[in-house]
Amino acid sequence: MMHSRAAKSPRIFVALRSNLLVGLTLAVVTLPQAIAFSTTLAGLPPHFGIYAAIWGVLFTALLNPSRVFSGGPNTTMSAAIGVTLLPVAPPFGADYIGLALTLILLAGLIQMLFVLIRPLGRALDLISEPIINGLICGIGLFLIFKSLTSFAGLPLNTEVEWPLWIAWQSLRAVLEFGNLYAIQIGLITLVTCLVARQIDLLRNWAILIGVCAGTAYSAYLNETVGLQNTLVEQIGNLSSVGVVFPSLPVFNQEALSDIISIVPGAITLALLGLFQTVAAMRRMNRKIGGYTDSRKGIFADAVSNCLLPFLSSLPTCASFNRMWLVHSMGGQSRLTSAISALFLLLMVLFFAKVIAIIPMPTMAAVIMVLGANMINWEDVKPHFRSKHEATVFLASFLSVLFLDLFEAVLVGSALAIAYSKWEQAHPNISLRGNVLKIRGNLYYGSLPVIESIYHGALERGQDVVIDFSECHYIDREGIRWLAALKQKTSFVDRRGGEDRREVAKAPRERSGGKRRRGQDRRRRSDI
Amino acid sequence: MKPLPARLLKLVLVVAALGALYLLAVRGHAERDALRQAAVELTPDCRAKLSDYALRAGERYRSPYLLKTTGRTRDLHGYDDEDVRAIQRGCNIFDDLQGYLAKGGPRERWYANRFVRGTQTTCTHCHRGVGDRQDAAGNRLVGTNSMGASWVMADMYDRFTGLLLSHEWRQMQCYINSSNGFKPNIADDVIRDVTAYSRFLAAALDLKIGNRYPEQGIDEISASATLRRGDDYVRGAFVYRQKCATCHGPQALGTVGQDRVLYPALAGPNAFSLDSRMNFAKVHSVMPGFICRNMPPGKESSLDNQECRDIAFYLSTLPRPAGDMQGPLAAAWQQLMMIVMPPLTRYAESLPGNGDPHDTAEAR
Repeated sequence: MMHSRAAKSPRIFVALRSNLLVGLTLAVVTLPQAIAFSTTLAGLPPHFGIYAAIWGVLFTALLNPSRVFSGGPNTTMSAAIGVTLLPVAPPFGADYIGLALTLILLAGLIQMLFVLIRPLGRALDLISEPIINGLICGIGLFLIFKSLTSFAGLPLNTEVEWPLWIAWQSLRAVLEFGNLYAIQIGLITLVTCLVARQIDLLRNWAILIGVCAGTAYSAYLNETVGLQNTLVEQIGNLSSVGVVFPSLPVFNQEALSDIISIVPGAITLALLGLFQTVAAMRRMNRKIGGYTDSRKGIFADAVSNCLLPFLSSLPTCASFNRMWLVHSMGGQSRLTSAISALFLLLMVLFFAKVIAIIPMPTMAAVIMVLGANMINWEDVKPHFRSKHEATVFLASFLSVLFLDLFEAVLVGSALAIAYSKWEQAHPNISLRGNVLKIRGNLYYGSLPVIESIYHGALERGQDVVIDFSECHYIDREGIRWLAALKQKTSFVDRRGGEDRREVAKAPRERSGGKRRRGQDRRRRSDI
Repeated sequence: MKPLPARLLKLVLVVAALGALYLLAVRGHAERDALRQAAVELTPDCRAKLSDYALRAGERYRSPYLLKTTGRTRDLHGYDDEDVRAIQRGCNIFDDLQGYLAKGGPRERWYANRFVRGTQTTCTHCHRGVGDRQDAAGNRLVGTNSMGASWVMADMYDRFTGLLLSHEWRQMQCYINSSNGFKPNIADDVIRDVTAYSRFLAAALDLKIGNRYPEQGIDEISASATLRRGDDYVRGAFVYRQKCATCHGPQALGTVGQDRVLYPALAGPNAFSLDSRMNFAKVHSVMPGFICRNMPPGKESSLDNQECRDIAFYLSTLPRPAGDMQGPLAAAWQQLMMIVMPPLTRYAESLPGNGDPHDTAEAR
């Protein structure tokens, strides 16, 4: 007994050490992203992102049994907060923060509906991959555009809508009157990130290295030119941030009209989180070969997002990139995420002064890199092999850029259903000779198509044989139609495959449909 | 992972693209700097306005307006050359936003035409008298949207949203709503120069910061200020044809001549959007007040309140661009109406008995 315990402890020690290393990496990678999401995208103070990376990660790790699941702050959800609240209140203000907390709580409650009402949660599985990829690519491109003004040290453009026109004007503003010091800092961050990503050893640390380079250059400028001349905004003082920062969402009569106006935004936020969690878990399951029910991810998200608004935190959802990082570095348990949260807390407590001098253009450059990461050609390429998938992907992609996020989510969901129904409603039907072969489903949606071809063949005076061997499903209306046909038609069960073998043996008989039908009738009874 | 040469090539291309963008930025900044330093050629109205107010660089500024209206004078902090140029450019943008009167075209107006969709819009159409309209005695006129009075209300609460709006933010809103356009960035020279001009007007007119002056906005004419016959766009169309159509055109599409806008469009693609408070359909529409206070030029206050409301009602029935908040369907519908309605209306008016208002009057 003693011997076995002694043999076990080094294994535990090794596992703990490996989890410590992965947890530290995860914390270091998440920190700049968390700050960038809250300040550049959501219009909230930096501690919101940091707490999401601490409490959001911890809650989701506790609530989701998956070994590689990693929650935390998310680009798209942060952008959705900014877009929803900018027309309602000025960013970083007290009203804005209160409404942001309410928005997150509403999103959490809506997500809870997806847990409690099972068909709703199941409906998320109907969102196909081209749609999710279209949304993700569109949002990635949008994030690059959205960061342009912060990249050049210009004030946040408070546009309500996101047309490409605004992106174009923002680029012109950057080129004509952006702060050149800010542009230099942003460029140095970007280029350092890109170079570090090419080196395998530094790949996972690229963003952190970029942030360090940008911050170092900014500190150099402050030293030589002076902050009063560079006028480059920095993160600011984080020293007041402690272990917990309790907060209360706004919910009073005065704010009610604003709260009602942000409900569509809350639905968007909830759906965007759930889409990403389901998609990330689905993709992760396929990559590592295991299986964790995505409902568990939905449950973890919903509960976390109901709790996080009381802890001054951004909402959470699964991040495929961080999950892949944990998996590829050998993170094997939920302990990794918990350790990462702990490390992050320690970093914030002890390195707040260093974090405070990170310049905003560097944060904007981080968002640009993450936005570019979301547009992955390898993920998108397969969709262009099928016309249907390409259409759905492009529609979903363009709807992000031309409509707002809420409408993009609606278009995506509608397309998903329309796409699957269209596929089902158009079974592959071929009429060769007098054999009508149906591949796909026979149901109310596909019947008109089948009927038109069947009657077309009948009108040509042919004696038609209908081959159901590749028909997967027949609904009640389909059965009624077949029952009506039964008055004039005979049915033969060929599941035994006997006659197929017969046909193979005697290929000449295939051409004579009438005769073959006669043969069938002789061999089998009607069904 | 891709092979190293391919990755390196991609990296070099991206870095080269970023470098090219940086060079473009340096060039763009240099061009703007040169323009900021260049002497400003004023439009005729701005030349008259700024010379009346004795704008010149110096240690102290004394307002001739104050001397003329009160007989006393006051020394104010003066302007340097850069300030003077910014004020002059601001006035120019105000008077000729599209740059029709500038040798260098829209470039001399900081490309302000990028931020409006129509080709006729300029600020002075609504902010009368280049943002400061007075009668012969020098009395500032109510309902003229004075920019000086607007500046002293810097940091004004927006009564609809409850937000604290700076003068710059209000300008940005103006681009979206009244000009049917897009917000410039708040750091753009377009915003900065117009702010400088508004601030100068406030100094020249001796307006006190934080005060509300009646000429700042337009008084709304509510239904209770009429004889309560009810608003009628048919009656409005009749009055419009009699008193407005000569200048603004039979379908209110504006009049352009001699390479400049003589009378602005009140409908169609060059007019304000459905979201503007100039649109009578908005709850707090300022259009009736604007008409009563400012129209027709030279015979202001000749229209009664009901006529102003009727004309405003009629104008709101004409096709115009949708507001940005109204979504793509409303925008598409309005675009269709702006294409289809003018020829249809022309045809309908060409039918016997339909076109001439006097015929209609006799028929009645």
